[in-house]
Amino acid sequence: MGNAERYAKADRDILAAMEKPGRAYLAGLAFTATLTVIGGILWIYQIRNGLGVAGYTHPVNWAIYITNFVFWVGIAHSGTLISAVLYLFRARYRTSFNRAAEAMTVFALMVAGLFPLIHLGRSWVFYYLLPYPNQRQLWVNFRSPLIWDVFAVGTYFTVSLVFFYVGMIPDFAIARRCKEGIRKRFYQVLSLGWKGTEREWRHYGMLYLFLAAFATPLVASVHSVVSWDFAMSVVPGWHTTIFAPYFVAGAIFSGTAMVITLVIPLRKAMNLHEYITDDHFESIAKIMLFTSLIVSYAYIVEFGLAWYGGNVFETGAFRYRALGDFRYLTWAMIFCNSLVPLSLFVKRLRRNTTCLLVVSLLVNVGMWLERFVIIVASLAHDYDPYVWGTYSPTYVEVGISLGSFGMFFTLYLLFVKNLPVLSITEIKEHL
Amino acid sequence: MAEPMVFREKERFLESLRELVRDGVPRERIRVITPFGVPEVEEILPGKRSKVRFFALLGAASGTVTGFAFTILTSLSWPLIVGGKPIVSLPPFLIIAFALTILFGALSTFLGFLLLSRLPSPRGIRSEVEYGNAFVILVEDGERR
Repeated sequence: MGNAERYAKADRDILAAMEKPGRAYLAGLAFTATLTVIGGILWIYQIRNGLGVAGYTHPVNWAIYITNFVFWVGIAHSGTLISAVLYLFRARYRTSFNRAAEAMTVFALMVAGLFPLIHLGRSWVFYYLLPYPNQRQLWVNFRSPLIWDVFAVGTYFTVSLVFFYVGMIPDFAIARRCKEGIRKRFYQVLSLGWKGTEREWRHYGMLYLFLAAFATPLVASVHSVVSWDFAMSVVPGWHTTIFAPYFVAGAIFSGTAMVITLVIPLRKAMNLHEYITDDHFESIAKIMLFTSLIVSYAYIVEFGLAWYGGNVFETGAFRYRALGDFRYLTWAMIFCNSLVPLSLFVKRLRRNTTCLLVVSLLVNVGMWLERFVIIVASLAHDYDPYVWGTYSPTYVEVGISLGSFGMFFTLYLLFVKNLPVLSITEIKEHL
Repeated sequence: MAEPMVFREKERFLESLRELVRDGVPRERIRVITPFGVPEVEEILPGKRSKVRFFALLGAASGTVTGFAFTILTSLSWPLIVGGKPIVSLPPFLIIAFALTILFGALSTFLGFLLLSRLPSPRGIRSEVEYGNAFVILVEDGERR
């Protein structure tokens, strides 16, 4: 087959994913959309009745909503790692995952951004977080990690969205050529009239390089800022300097797991085996294994500091984490995040997509549990035994959390059918 | 404008492009359209380096300045001591300045790209001329010397 045929085949194969959806797709979309609607209704219920309908009780006033916030921001991270960092390192297997990962970043941040608002209770006053000239003579406190979050996550979302869009401009030009009717118009507008002249490519190459360079520090900075929401306080179990690197490694770990969770079914459903190969999965599984080892090391350091540091509150917090009310969750977290990924040391398992899918799903569960355990178990067992307590979520919190998964997967399913799922131009470059 | 020279294979296209340059056709009269970025074109038709990088620098620098100026000046205008920290607390303000450096840098780079590439182009959006996966050379006005 000549190159010209190969290019045409790449266009056909990848754009075929955007053809009329089948029944399985529609059923999946209906299911995730239903979850989203249920989550939305429960949020409205919570707004009408107040945060009392959530399971927040003193001393656990940060719980599942903040867990979800940290989880989804974390999921977003590996998108940037794959699209920006691997681009700078010229890792070719990135091409198979970057579009899916960038979409994942944008959607995960959209979902994450809702949780601070849901957690507020009085969601309609969210704008108090924004620094804007006001008549109340109030101004935000720039020394507060919660305001850093607004800037960090806001910047992250905007930059990720620009990166996602910029990567698709040449592909929109291909889609506009291959589609008809209203969809053609849609892609014509989105392609901005891209022609592929040498001037466009020259500026485009520089733009992409700089966007990758700007996005790379965000991989480290955003989740560090999120970790400081906890580490800047004095709560035992939170107040530790290892939180920033620990959270960043965890974020990349969970995000990589989510990319694998999304791309394995995508490859099968869209028949993209030629473009997303087992070699590519093996490479990304290595990233997951590596970050799992960092996360496991952080667990050991955390417990080691509590044991060796001699601070009774810290020791108490970690003893409670391992042996207290949330012990099953703690051990499940260690099983999913530290033990299961060790299986990826075996090459055969790294190349087996079923095994990889199971590991990645367990890692997703484990990383959610990690955030839950850090947040809830630390608050439940604070300094003063008189105010110790426990927490269990209500159906409203569970429903809203499931709704967030529904929203994420709904957005993802819509992406799969409406935007090119792989970077066609980059694939052609490597053909 | 002369008839476009259309090639299905990259190698043939690069060969013809080299030939044109060897024949002495001025670089500024040659336009090239490719389905993906071809680094060899840059070598054959060396142009100025993209000015997008200046937009990146200007954007990032203005983000840093804005971040510090915004936090310092507004904190001085609404002075409120929290947790015994100074009104102008540079370490936390650095985080805001860092975020704005990236934000302004990225947006300005994108804007620079649009300006320099003359996008969005209404004519391009409406255009029905598509070369698909072909590599195209257009020689503007004048004869080949």
